[in-house]
Amino acid sequence: MNPEDIRYHREHTWARLSGNRITIGITDYAQESLGDIVYIDAIEPDTDVEAGSEITQIESTKATSPVISPVSGTVVEFNEELTDSPEIINEDPYGKGWIAVIEVEDDSEFNDLMDVTEYERYLEEEVKLR
Amino acid sequence: MRIAILGAGPGGYVAAIRAAQLGAEVTIVEDKEVGGTCLNEGCIPTKTLIASAELLHRARNAKDFGLELNGTIQPDIKNIIQRKDKVVSTQVKGIRGLFKSWGIRCIEGRGTIETPKKLRITIKNGSIEYVTADRIIIATGSRPANIPAFPFDGKNILSSTDALNIDTIPSSILIIGAGVIGCEFAFIFREFGSDVTMVEMLPHAVSTEDEEISVILERELKKRKIKLLTNVRVEDVDIKDGSVSVRLSDGKSIEAEKMLVSIGRAVNSDNIGLENIGVKIGRRGEILVNEYMQTNIEGVYAIGDVVGGLMLAHLASREGIIAAENALGGNSKVNYDVIPSAIFTSPEIASVGLRERDAIQKGIRVKTGRFQFRTLGKAHAMAEISGMIKLIAEEVTDRLIGAHIIGPHASDLIHEAALAIENGLKSKDIARTIHAHPTLSEGLMEAAEEIHGQAIHVPRR
Repeated sequence: MNPEDIRYHREHTWARLSGNRITIGITDYAQESLGDIVYIDAIEPDTDVEAGSEITQIESTKATSPVISPVSGTVVEFNEELTDSPEIINEDPYGKGWIAVIEVEDDSEFNDLMDVTEYERYLEEEVKLR
Repeated sequence: MRIAILGAGPGGYVAAIRAAQLGAEVTIVEDKEVGGTCLNEGCIPTKTLIASAELLHRARNAKDFGLELNGTIQPDIKNIIQRKDKVVSTQVKGIRGLFKSWGIRCIEGRGTIETPKKLRITIKNGSIEYVTADRIIIATGSRPANIPAFPFDGKNILSSTDALNIDTIPSSILIIGAGVIGCEFAFIFREFGSDVTMVEMLPHAVSTEDEEISVILERELKKRKIKLLTNVRVEDVDIKDGSVSVRLSDGKSIEAEKMLVSIGRAVNSDNIGLENIGVKIGRRGEILVNEYMQTNIEGVYAIGDVVGGLMLAHLASREGIIAAENALGGNSKVNYDVIPSAIFTSPEIASVGLRERDAIQKGIRVKTGRFQFRTLGKAHAMAEISGMIKLIAEEVTDRLIGAHIIGPHASDLIHEAALAIENGLKSKDIARTIHAHPTLSEGLMEAAEEIHGQAIHVPRR
């Protein structure tokens, strides 16, 4: 089940708002499509990111894929647990498998993201038909 | 015809054998050990250390293969070096055996050129001998280049040669230069347990390769927790209490137990008597030759690292063959457009022909095909899924002009592409050749198909 308290980006990343900080990760659909995740590039703190652009890369047994940031801001934390155990993303994509925390100026980009209903409709209508 | 060869590395010894095969009376002079840098201080010894490191890596990950290994698994550096020495000495004996079988006289001593037809040799016992010849081939090779302000001391500041003969594994090592040699040693030392930091003044590791290959290697370095600092230079080196402290151009300082300097190689063209006969050399001391391997002095040829350019054992060998044939009346040239090269990192890297950026620079319109090893069943079975194959073909003719591989057995896989490029084959020729399953070679077929959007195991774009 995709949680209701977070927002979704069309490139299959999610965002959870807390004050001026947004925690991001990849969605269940993304981890399922990637298959067993074997590696994720660590993100250096203080890295500036743009919404819709690559924030890091994930390697699975099937593919190497970019992770697209759902919001713009500055990375303040990377989930170091993933360095040695990237499979956490497969096991718990919305919880322990979070990827990074991004500090944002305002929540406007966050508010523009899809909510769970919109994301699930997007999956049904656009993504899964491809 | 009498041929004298100065230097018995992979250039000189191969030239000697070919000259003897063609009926010449051959004398070869070597002041260290036959096999040269390649066999004694380069290609072969590093590969034996890599074999130990890779087995160690596999043993440490035995669980992934369903194996249970009990007890501790750790490197014993003395035995690792001993094994290396044994492999080297077996190969040295092999070359000596070949010399004997072809009636080649090998003199152990230091030779200098007196005249275009005479060498003066200081034998190891101090006596002097002269050798007269109709033709001379210079194959004196190269040596590790140092940072002049911080020369090798063999204790804290190591050359690649020193690094092959260590008696303890350093707890930490700083590697200056993330080229071929630096990267190979980085993986070796890391697996043996050292904390490894590489410093590179260029933007990428192995910057001689196609950039996409460098980027993938950099990720593999991260996976092994090898630190790589790019776009920085060494400003100052301070040695105290048996450790090295290095100040970098970005203001940072790094401390390590040892420092390995792998910033390139310097040619051995000094003190061999070139000035006695007026052989022309270039800016870095490299002997200038034409495409027939002739120097400006008639009857004097030069080959291998000492002529500069790509310093590769197999290129030296080919130049040696060409020089020997031309010295004996032949008229052949080396094809410098098709020289495969390999880097023995984990995974391996190999390439041949043009990089994409070379093609763009030459104004050649290209099509590229890429294929990920992780798509192959064989790669999964071997548990070596990292890496990719990139093929470059000329757009109009479809002729293959470049191949770049990072992945398992890249150094063996590259030759199919080399053969194709050497013979002007098209990417479609590779694509329609049946490749056995399950093999890593299937990747080349798929990469060739991918150029035409028809790779079977790549999803629709």
